[in-house]
Amino acid sequence: MFRSRSWFGGPWGGRPKNRLSLEHLKYLYSILEKNTTVSESNRGLLVESLRCIAEILIWGDQHDSLVFDFFLEKNMLSYFLHIMRQKSGGSSYVCVQLLQTLNILFENIRNETSLYYLLSNNHVNSIMLHKFDFSDEDVMGYYILFLKTLSLKLNTHTIHFFYNEHTNDFPLYTEAIKFFNHPESMVRIAVRTISLNVYKVQNASMLRFIRDKTAAPYFSNLVWFIGKHILELDTCVRTDIDHQSKQKLSNLVAEHLDHLHYLSDILLLDITDLNAVLTEHLLHKLFVPLYIFSLTPAPPPPSLALVTQNLAAVLNRNVDIDIQEMHNPRVSSIVALYLLSLVFLVVNHAPLVHALAWVILNGDHSVFKEGAAEILNSYTEHREVVVPGFGEPHESLEQALDTVIGHTANYSGDAASEDSGVESTAATTTTPTSRHIETVAEAAATRLRNITDEEKQMLQQSTSTQAFTELAKPFLDTVLQALDCTENDYLALLSLCLIYAMSHNRDGMKNEWFEQVLSKSMRGSFSYKTALIEHLLNIITHSSLPSSRIRLITVEIALELLLTFTKPVADEAPCITATQQGLLFSARNQSMVVLRNFYKSEDIFLDLFEDEYNEMCKAQLNVEFLCMDSNILLPPTGTPLTGIGFTRRLPCGEVEKARRAIRVYFLLRRTCQKFLNEKESLLPLTNVVNLVQVENVLDLNNSDLIACTVVSKENAKQRRFLVIDALQLILVEPDAKLLGWGVAKFVGFLQDVEVQGDKDDSRCLHITVHRGGVTHNRTPQLSAKFLFDDHIRCMAAKQRLTKGRSKARQKKMYQIAQLIEIPGQLESPLFPVCGTSTSCGNTRLAQKGANLTASRVPGFAAVLRGNNSAGISRTQMAQNRSLEGIRNESGSRSRRRSPNAGSSSSLSQRLGNAALDRDRSPSVSGGSHSSSQSRENSQARGSGNRSRESSPRMPRPRSEEIPLEDFQHSRNNSPHSRSAVANASPSSRSHTPSRVLHIDQVSVHSGSPREPSSLGTNALLSQLNGGVTIAREVLPAQSSEETSFIGNDVDVENRRKGRSNIETV
Amino acid sequence: MSYAYLFKYIIIGDTGVGKSCLLLQFTDKRFQPVHDLTIGVEFGARMITIDGKQIKLQIWDTAGQEAFRSITRSYYRGAAGALLVYDITRRETFNHLTTWLEDARQHSNSNMVIMLIGNKSDLDSRREVKKEEGEAFAREHGLVFMETSARTAANVEEAFINTAKEIYEKIQEGVFDINNEANGIKIGQQATPTNPALPGSGGAGGAVNSGCC
Repeated sequence: MFRSRSWFGGPWGGRPKNRLSLEHLKYLYSILEKNTTVSESNRGLLVESLRCIAEILIWGDQHDSLVFDFFLEKNMLSYFLHIMRQKSGGSSYVCVQLLQTLNILFENIRNETSLYYLLSNNHVNSIMLHKFDFSDEDVMGYYILFLKTLSLKLNTHTIHFFYNEHTNDFPLYTEAIKFFNHPESMVRIAVRTISLNVYKVQNASMLRFIRDKTAAPYFSNLVWFIGKHILELDTCVRTDIDHQSKQKLSNLVAEHLDHLHYLSDILLLDITDLNAVLTEHLLHKLFVPLYIFSLTPAPPPPSLALVTQNLAAVLNRNVDIDIQEMHNPRVSSIVALYLLSLVFLVVNHAPLVHALAWVILNGDHSVFKEGAAEILNSYTEHREVVVPGFGEPHESLEQALDTVIGHTANYSGDAASEDSGVESTAATTTTPTSRHIETVAEAAATRLRNITDEEKQMLQQSTSTQAFTELAKPFLDTVLQALDCTENDYLALLSLCLIYAMSHNRDGMKNEWFEQVLSKSMRGSFSYKTALIEHLLNIITHSSLPSSRIRLITVEIALELLLTFTKPVADEAPCITATQQGLLFSARNQSMVVLRNFYKSEDIFLDLFEDEYNEMCKAQLNVEFLCMDSNILLPPTGTPLTGIGFTRRLPCGEVEKARRAIRVYFLLRRTCQKFLNEKESLLPLTNVVNLVQVENVLDLNNSDLIACTVVSKENAKQRRFLVIDALQLILVEPDAKLLGWGVAKFVGFLQDVEVQGDKDDSRCLHITVHRGGVTHNRTPQLSAKFLFDDHIRCMAAKQRLTKGRSKARQKKMYQIAQLIEIPGQLESPLFPVCGTSTSCGNTRLAQKGANLTASRVPGFAAVLRGNNSAGISRTQMAQNRSLEGIRNESGSRSRRRSPNAGSSSSLSQRLGNAALDRDRSPSVSGGSHSSSQSRENSQARGSGNRSRESSPRMPRPRSEEIPLEDFQHSRNNSPHSRSAVANASPSSRSHTPSRVLHIDQVSVHSGSPREPSSLGTNALLSQLNGGVTIAREVLPAQSSEETSFIGNDVDVENRRKGRSNIETV
Repeated sequence: MSYAYLFKYIIIGDTGVGKSCLLLQFTDKRFQPVHDLTIGVEFGARMITIDGKQIKLQIWDTAGQEAFRSITRSYYRGAAGALLVYDITRRETFNHLTTWLEDARQHSNSNMVIMLIGNKSDLDSRREVKKEEGEAFAREHGLVFMETSARTAANVEEAFINTAKEIYEKIQEGVFDINNEANGIKIGQQATPTNPALPGSGGAGGAVNSGCC
């Protein structure tokens, strides 16, 4: 049990055998007694003794109370103190051990009384006050941890051990905060923890001590520390070349956020007095003089002289000081906007946030000029008038501001000392009069500077029609002007962040209050809110242009803000004019035009499209996260080599441009829909509700099933049946209860299927089902080897998968074409495809009815048949239905067709055009894909009616589609001739089963009335196997051929909706 | 004591999973694991040798600092490695791993090496979390996994040293910016890459003597 060295005997004799015992502690005590002076020779012994003491004490705390009694009785802590106070004997070495022992002691002690005893004499405070060698990393670590451990023991009872009311001593706190700017981050974190733990204790007299004796110096230093940090950050931004200081900047930003969160945590403790002091310091030493001040344009040299002159004249003061004031540190407006955003995102302390917002929104020179009282009054007025529900007691804020506003200009005084590198450790003690003078001085200076510069800007902006004779709200103007993104959106993004942060500040500021301030703020006859909305619309319009230099994130925030600020107030009309709404919609249309250029220009357009949609849905706008990203402080860039996320930079290359176009369109579409109160009905392209899910039980009677063995990478084998649906690849296993039904064990999208043959085994396919979305570099959903019974089945499966994939994709491409209202372009690539597949039938429809919704897709076959004459489409439809009725079509199918009937009128409007388009389209068709398709098409058409006489091989790959064309032809020839239709379709269909899968023949043969006509082509097949015939008998005689081609999509839906009757493509 | 690098570690996980015991077990071998003594410390340092280089591991257990947002967010940054610890005899500590990991990933620098540790492997009879579950979780989230026992010292060395090795490899690959102390890596004052480190492992001070008895 005890593997201690004591077994082997140490250099010292007579120690008890049991390491963990009272006896051993007594023995160790004797060592301490004998070695009161630390020397080279006894150092090791002392260290080991101190270490053992820790062990025994904790053991005693857990097992034997006598141990602790002995420790206290002998007052062993005093020995500790004695040892550490000795200069000699290699202080670090012994001190580290002492501190470790103390840490172990206070961390592991569980017994309350033991703790009280340990704290009861003043030794612990003396130890804290001891000046250790803090240059030693380990000493520093153990020391600060010791303080932290003690701070965690603080409560209303134990506070008296640490804070001495009479002597005003509180070493735990005062010693700790001395390290607030220690270079080691872990030490700084510990200091913050300690201070927060101290503030948390509800002890009035202690808090009074904190406020009166320490708050001003600590907070002013803290604020100064933060301010210096910000200047460093600003330098980093200013001097950055090509994003090279990215890492450094990112750390500086993270560090600053730490500071802000720390301040916020203090404010959240809600200690009124403390918060007042902190608010005052933050506002008047940092936020207003550095952040807000930096929003005003830097003074141009000529006016500098002017200002200096004026000030000198007005104030009768030494000109030199004023020049120094002119040199107040300032940060770039980029950094200023960013930092202000962070304040509003992180801090929720109402008085602070309100005051700051007020200054930004309403602050002007007259207020500065007339002094602090004006700000206060206006602020108070606004609070009472605008936020009726705001019931907080205002005293604290007013008190705070009363004291504080007077200091407004103090920064200038401090700045002087700051410039000379002297840290102000306490609030400056300027008299009220001088304070006021300084206020006036600064106000005058700011105004003069602003006017001159603003006027210059105005002159430069020839486009601007408004002549601002007076600049009432310079800060708000700066914020709004920053929204201009004619060149780029560098400043605009940060300005948007600030507006967003101000309007979304969680509880510190009420949204309505912000809005009303905005709408009440007038510039001439022109409310700031209108100006803001116009700026936003401007950004949105810009973003929809093809060569836009606006990042996606900017667009997104702009749209979000547009929604926020145009949200109708209860009894009012929406705050958006028809013109403004028109701008938004034309921006959407413009983005659609841009997007059309990318349609099909990239092979992976469909994948991009779907992926962008998913990304948009997934990524909720989170400005707080955005503002943690220091990259937005650097000029916008396009290259992904910076590691900046796609939405936060400009697109690079054609694929990204396509992505951007897609995303801008989605964003605008979504916003427009919100304005119209519409629900999205066309996106996403795949309606998840209609999909087959794993474990669904499906009726597979009359479906094409290909038996196969799935061999996974791990060589696990599973016997499955492969079913290919319109959109999905499904692997089923037979259902145990229902004959002919199967349970889906795997489902994957056909569009993501990749099929490869096996060189060595003709019965084998390598099938990979990728996960949707191109940006995710994840493992495929399925990657396995499929073994089929013979090579014919293997070929069949391959064909179906390949075709299923392209069909699924075509179908979705068509949906996209509808969505972005592709006009004349559509038929040229797609027309030749028409008639070769059911989905092409759909695409052809797009010529006529781009406004057909995707959800109606399943019904296209029906409409198709009626498309020879627009006027009679309805009649045709009815005929179709009756036809289908004869073929035992289920009622549900015809029901589903009816939506098409509804849209047929709009269809017919375009039919004239469509007919024309169709006529010329073959010549228009270009590209290898479409030409090959057109060849197929012509083959299909040519062979259509004759297919039963022609060689069965010819239409092999297209066998399923031919009936459509045939069918159409026959309908064109004689719409009422049922027999023609009946004859045409099964005959061509018969190719399908013959080559693809003989189970399919079941359905062919089951259509007994037409069997004779198909005999010719199927002479071979009819002999093929008796199993087919048997199968036919087993299966219920169903609407076989109808379901397998005409109602292809229809049945898919049918199955999904109701009985899960699986139909193959 | 000179070192080539200093790596800062943090230990995270629910209270009572034995974080500080692990830490003490690793940093100070003089504290022998004893059955009837639960003892831990929240700070420690120890010298190890990797690839012939002296590397100082400085470990901060920040228990009790979870109450404030500012503290949690800042404390993940500035660490090069993190030990994410759960207790194999308490399922809830395993269930909370996702939260811990999310926090860590959100606030830490992306290169931070995280090791998942199932502690108290000596209490196999009271086990609630299978080793396979820990392995699966680690695999899923790209962590290194190990079961340890602070009480028997099993795998404790390995846990800390393997993490250090991974950080060291990342430095060699140039992934870590070692000139940026905010990453939790410090270059030693005297040590230079050409200077072979001193043989054997010495303690950085009395308390961090890593030598075995």
